[in-house]
Amino acid sequence: MTTPIDELLRGSLDHCVKCTICETACPVAAATPLFPGPKYAGPQAERYRVADEPSVEWSVDYCSGCGICTQVCPQGVKIAEINAQARNKLKNQKGVPLRDRIITRPTWLGRLGTPAAPIANWSLTFKPARLLGEKLLKVHRDAAAPEFAGRRFSTWARKRTSPATGRKVVYFHNCGTEYYEPWEGEKLVAILEHNGFEVVVPKQDCCGLPLQSSGLFGDARKVVLRLAKALAPHVRDDDTVIVGNATSCTLMLKREAREILGLEDDPDLRLVSERTYDICEFLLELHDRGELKTDFKPIDETIAYHAPCQQQGHWIGKPALELLALVPGLKVAEMDARCCGIAGTYGLKAEKYDIAMAVGANLFEQIASSGADAVACDSETCRWQITHATKQPSVHPIDFLHRAYGLDGAA
Amino acid sequence: MSPRTPELHYDAVVIGAGTAGMTAAARLAEGGARVCVLAKGVGSTHLAPGTIDVLGYAPDRVEEPEGALPGFIAEHPDHPYALIGAEAIAPALQWFAERVEAGPLPGYRYVGGLDRNHLLPTAVGVMRPSALVPETMAGGDERAREAVCVVGMRPLRDFHAALCAANLSRNGPSARAVEAAVEVDRADVNSLGLARRFDDPAWRAAFAAKLAPLVRTEERVALPAVLGLRDPHGAWEDLQQRLGRAVFEIPTLPPSVPGMRLFEILKAALRAARGRLVLGAEVIGADRAGGRIEAVRTHASGHDVHYHARWFVLATGGFASGAISIASDWTAHENALDLPLRGFPAPGQPRFVADYFAEQPMARTGVAVDGSLRAEGAENVFVAGASLPGSLPWKEGSGDGIALASGHKVAQAVLDAEATSKLRTPA
Amino acid sequence: MATLSTDVLVIGGGATGAGVAWDSALRGFDVILVDRLDLAEGTSGRFHGLLHSGGRYAVKDPKAAVECIEENRILRSVAADCIEDTGGFFVTTPWDDPEYADRFAEGCQATGVDCEEIDVVQALREEPRLNPDVSRVFRVPDANIDVWKTVWSMARGAQARGARVLPYHAAVAIHRDGDEVTGAHVRDDRTGEELDIEARVTVNAGGAWAGRIADMAGIEGVRVLPGRGIMIAMNHRLVNTVVNRCQMPTDGDIIVPIRTVSVIGTTDEHTDDADDHTVMESEVDAMLDDGEKLVPGFRYQRALRVWTGVRPLFEDAKADDTETRDVTRAHALLDHAKRDGVNRFVTITGGKLTTFRLMAEETVDAVCKQLGEQRPCTTRTEPLPGSEDGRHYRLGHRLEAKEERLTDDQLICECELIRRSTLEETMRRRASTNLDDIRRQVRLGMGPCQGGFCIYRATGILHGLDGLSAEEANGALLGFLQERWKGVWPVLYGDQLRQARLDDWIFQGVLGVEHLQ
Repeated sequence: MTTPIDELLRGSLDHCVKCTICETACPVAAATPLFPGPKYAGPQAERYRVADEPSVEWSVDYCSGCGICTQVCPQGVKIAEINAQARNKLKNQKGVPLRDRIITRPTWLGRLGTPAAPIANWSLTFKPARLLGEKLLKVHRDAAAPEFAGRRFSTWARKRTSPATGRKVVYFHNCGTEYYEPWEGEKLVAILEHNGFEVVVPKQDCCGLPLQSSGLFGDARKVVLRLAKALAPHVRDDDTVIVGNATSCTLMLKREAREILGLEDDPDLRLVSERTYDICEFLLELHDRGELKTDFKPIDETIAYHAPCQQQGHWIGKPALELLALVPGLKVAEMDARCCGIAGTYGLKAEKYDIAMAVGANLFEQIASSGADAVACDSETCRWQITHATKQPSVHPIDFLHRAYGLDGAA
Repeated sequence: MSPRTPELHYDAVVIGAGTAGMTAAARLAEGGARVCVLAKGVGSTHLAPGTIDVLGYAPDRVEEPEGALPGFIAEHPDHPYALIGAEAIAPALQWFAERVEAGPLPGYRYVGGLDRNHLLPTAVGVMRPSALVPETMAGGDERAREAVCVVGMRPLRDFHAALCAANLSRNGPSARAVEAAVEVDRADVNSLGLARRFDDPAWRAAFAAKLAPLVRTEERVALPAVLGLRDPHGAWEDLQQRLGRAVFEIPTLPPSVPGMRLFEILKAALRAARGRLVLGAEVIGADRAGGRIEAVRTHASGHDVHYHARWFVLATGGFASGAISIASDWTAHENALDLPLRGFPAPGQPRFVADYFAEQPMARTGVAVDGSLRAEGAENVFVAGASLPGSLPWKEGSGDGIALASGHKVAQAVLDAEATSKLRTPA
Repeated sequence: MATLSTDVLVIGGGATGAGVAWDSALRGFDVILVDRLDLAEGTSGRFHGLLHSGGRYAVKDPKAAVECIEENRILRSVAADCIEDTGGFFVTTPWDDPEYADRFAEGCQATGVDCEEIDVVQALREEPRLNPDVSRVFRVPDANIDVWKTVWSMARGAQARGARVLPYHAAVAIHRDGDEVTGAHVRDDRTGEELDIEARVTVNAGGAWAGRIADMAGIEGVRVLPGRGIMIAMNHRLVNTVVNRCQMPTDGDIIVPIRTVSVIGTTDEHTDDADDHTVMESEVDAMLDDGEKLVPGFRYQRALRVWTGVRPLFEDAKADDTETRDVTRAHALLDHAKRDGVNRFVTITGGKLTTFRLMAEETVDAVCKQLGEQRPCTTRTEPLPGSEDGRHYRLGHRLEAKEERLTDDQLICECELIRRSTLEETMRRRASTNLDDIRRQVRLGMGPCQGGFCIYRATGILHGLDGLSAEEANGALLGFLQERWKGVWPVLYGDQLRQARLDDWIFQGVLGVEHLQ
C-alpha cells in the first residue's frame, strides 16, 4: 500500500544523477561494509522496490538514519527518507525486536526509572545487569546509557511561573531534558527569561522519533500527533513560536514526522512544524535583530563544538557557532567529523554498537586532539555518546551562554 | 513578537558552494564583509578533477594560456573571459594558490600557472591540458619523458590502469599497468574510501611494500587520485620516498578526492574569515524591490528563512547542477532567482545535434549579465562560475579558470561598491 | 570462403526468427540463424515490452484477441522467467468514450480474455499515481515480457541443440536454383568475412525488412508497410500495473512498467524507411500530453530515453497506405511454393510480439510440409532455458541477488545493479567488442545515468578481459556514447538534462574521451 507521501519521497529519486556526493558524506558506509551507502540503499534500490511485494534486502537496516545524505545532496533527493521507509517495510516484515519496542519509548523508561533512579542507575553501571540486558534485549553492554536524574523537568516547571512580559515563547522540552538532564531545561528557561521572554511549558510527551527511526511508523504517528495536539493550541492564535533544545526532536517536529511518517495533512502538526525553532536558531535570529542581550562575561576556555547530524538537517547552518562567538574569551574549535555514531538509538543496539563507535572514531580523535576543556553539542544522545567515548564532559551550547550571562550564580 | 519566518541579515549572500561561490565568499569575508553562503548541497568540487584548467583548447590544444587568451577573447567577445578580463585571471590564481598553502592540508601546494599548460593523463590515458595543478598530479606532465607504471587497484572500479596505460603508450611515454593488491573489507571502494586509507601511514607503508617489487627503476608511478584527504602532501612524499620514484595522481570518476581537498581548502578560508556556510539551504525565491533583490528565501526544515543582504552572488552553476533547467515545454529557466538567460536557442531552433561529440547549441546558455558580471534586471546580483553564459567549460578546458576568476572578480566588485557606499554614508 | 549447410536457415533474428530457430531445433532440425544486426535489435527490441492479454483487441479485432490470450497463457508458462506478472488495467479516462467500456467488457467475454471490473478506489489504492478522474477500471492479465531475454533464451536453447547463431551476418544474396531456394550468401559485417549457407529450407523472418529479403529471392509483391511508433522510457515505475486507456486503440494510450522503468507508447505513422529512427519534437510533446491523461504530473517525471520501432504490417488489398493502424496486425505466413511456385522458401511477417511463438509454430509446420516430414511442435510446453521452474521474474530480483553478494562482488552498472561477475561472464559469452551488444544482454547503461558511470568501467573490464587493443576498447566506448546519445537528446529536459550534462562532464571534462579519436 502506498500513500501520496511515499510517492513524493519516491518521486525524489528522479533527481538523482548518481553523483556520489552522498557517498562521500555517509559516516556509516565509511565505517562498515554492511551498509553499501546512501546512493545504493536510497535512489538506486528504490527503483527495485514494489509496494506490494516483500522486501528482498537486509543492508538498509544498517543505515543509521542520520540524514546527512539528504543534507549534502545537491540534487534534492530525499535519500534518508527513502531509506527510512524501506527500513520500515523490512521491520514490519521481519518483526520488531522487543528491544526496539522498549528503547524507543523514552517516556515509559523515564517514568519507570525516575522514581527508582538510584537502583535504575546502578543497574546501568552494573556489569552483570548490562550483560543480561545484552542477552535478553540486545542492548549492547557497553553502550552509552544516561543516568536518570531522579527528578523531572516538568515537575520543576509546574512549580513556577515565568514572569509575564507580553513576549511569550513555548518550550518543547524533550524526554532527555525531562528525565535525564532537567538542568538543561532550567538553563534554557533562564536564558529566555533573561532576554525578556515569558516561557510557557505545556504538558507534553515524546515526539516519536525513536519509534520512527526504528521503523515503528504506526506507533510513531500516534505519539507525534498527540504531541502536536498538545502544543498547537498554545501557538494557534498568534505568532508565538516553540523552541526546543534537542535538535533531533525539533527536527522530528519540523520535518521528519511530516515527510517520513507521511503526516503532511495534519493541521496541528503543520502548525507546530512551522513554529518550531531550535533554541540556537531562535537566539541567533534574536541577535540578528539586535534583541539578544550580549552582557556576556568572559569565559576563558577552549571548547570543541560538534554539530549533530540532526541539527544539520534543520538546514540552518550552525547557529550555535555564531552564538558561542559572542562570548568573550571563549575559543571554539569546530569539529568537522560528521557523526558521533549514536544516531538516536542505533548505537545502543548490540549488533550496531561497534559500527557506531567506528562511525564516531573520527570525531572522538578530533576532540581528543583539539585540547578542548569540554565539548558542546546540541543533541543529548550525541553528548552521551561523546562522553562515553572520550570521557570528556559534554554540554549543550547554551550552557556557555547561561554561564556567560552569569545565570549560574557564579560571580 | 517573533515573526513566523526568520529573517537574517548579511552584507553579502553567496548562493552556491562550488569553486566560484566559495572563492567569492571567502574573498568577501576576507575583505571584511559579513557573508553567508547558501547551498542546496555541496557542489562541483566533488565532481571535478581538482585541477584549475584555464584554457585547454581553442579549439586546438593550447600550450600557453597567457599567450592564447587575448586572441581567444577577441574571437569570443561574449565569453566569460572577455567580461572578466584576461588580466584578472592571474591574481585569482595567485589568491587561490596562497589559500592552498595557508590551508588545512599541511604542505599541499598547487603548481604551474598561466605561462604554460601542464599536460596530464586522464584515466583513459588522454593528455589533458591544465594550468594550475596539485603538486601530487604534476609529475604526470608529458614533459617528464620517463616511462610510466600505472597502478590499478581492483576494489576501485573507477580506474582501469591497463586501458589508461595502453592509451598513454599510443602517443606519449611508454606505459604499462600493474595491479597492486589492496585489502579492503568490501567489494567496491570509491576514491574517497581509498584516500581515507592512504591517510593512514601504516596502511600506506604496507601498500608501498607490496607495490615496490612491481615497479621498475626507470619508471614514474601513476596512481588514481586517492593519496589522502587530510594529508595528501605527506602521503605523496611518503610514497615517493618509500618507492624511491616519482609518484603522481590521475584524477578519475567522481567522487573526486583532489576536488574534495579543494573544497576543504576554500571552506577553511571562508571559516577563517568568519564567513558562514549553510548547506541544505536551497534558495527557492527572492524578495524584490524594483531592480534590486532584498532577500532570498531558502527552504529550511519546518519553515522558510529569509536571508537579507545588500549584495548577492549567484554561483549556482549551469545545466549540470540544475541551476538552469529546461522544462518539458522546452523553455529554459534560472531556478533560484528567476533571472533572464542568454544563449538559449530560440523556439524552433535546435537545442541539440545528433553528433554527441559536436558542440550542442544549448551549451553556452547562462544567466544574462552586463559587462561587469551583474545580472540583467537585478542590479545587486553578481554572477560567477558556470552560471555565466558563453563558455563550453569541458570542451575548452576552462571551467575552473572561469569559476575562480569570476568568483574572485565579483567579490572585489562587491567590496569596491561597499567601500564606495561607506564613503558616501559614514557609519 | 566457407560453406555451411543446414536443414533450416532462418534470416532475421527477432522474436519470430529466434522462435523459428528454437522451434526447429526442438523438432530436431539443424538450424542456422542469421541477422544483419544483433539479435532482437530491430522491431522486437524496440517495443514497449507488453505481453498482451488481448484486451486491446477485444473490440476491434476479436481474432487477434483470442490469439493473444492463448499465447499469453502459454508464454506465462514456457517463458516464465522472461515475464513479470504485473497485470493490467483498462481505464476509462475523461477523454475516453464512456460507451466503450461496456463494449470492451463484452468483447473480453466473447474472446475469452479474463476481465474483471474493479472499484476505482481499489485501483487507485493499487496505483496511487493513476489519474483519480478515471470512471471505470477493468483488470486483465496483461504482463510485461523482456524480449532480449526471451530471444536470447531461445537462441541459446537452440544452440544447445546444435543450432548456429550468427548475429551481424547480413544476407547479401538468396541462392535460387530454378524454382528452389537453396540457401543464402551472408557477410559478417564486423569482419567482412563472407559465408555460403546451403539450406534445405530458408525462412524469411525479416519482419519489416521481409520484402527486401523476398526481393533477393526474386519473389515479387511481398510488401511490408513499416508502421513507425515512438516510445519513451520513464526513470522508474510510475505504475506497477500495465495501464491502458479503455478506448479504441490510439496513440499514447498505454504505459507498461518493465524492469526498472515505465514505457509509454506509442504512435503509428507510415514510413518508407524502416531504418529511419528520427524522433520529432511534436511526437514527444504529444506523448507527454497523453501521459498526463493516465498519470497526472507525467510531464514532470524524468524521461530517460526515446526510441522508435517499426511494426511490420503486411499489406492486404484493401489497405490504405497512410493509416497503418487499419492495416491488419495479424501475421502473414507465405508459402512461396503455393503463392509463387518457389519451393523451400517460407516468409513469415506481420503479427505482434505476443504471438511470436504461434507464428514460429506455423512457420515450422510449413517448413515440415516443404520437407514432407511430420515433426510435432513442442514449444507450447517446453520451457525456455531459465524458465524451467515456472517462476516469474520479479522487479526485486537483481536487488535480492546483489544483497546476497553485497561485499564480495563489485557493482559495475549501479542503476541496473549489474555485478562484475555477471558482466564478465556476459562479455566472455558474447565475445563482442560492441558494448551495445552487452547492453542488450544485461541492460548495461540503461538506467538513469545512461552509462555515465558504468561505461568507463565496462570499457576497462572489456579491455582487460579479451586482451583488446586500446583502439578497439576506445571504439567500444565512443561507439556506445554516440549510440546512447541518439535516444537521449530528443527527450532532454528536466532531471535527465542534469544527468546528461554530468555525463558530459565526466566524459569530456574528466576523461577527455573525444581526444581518443
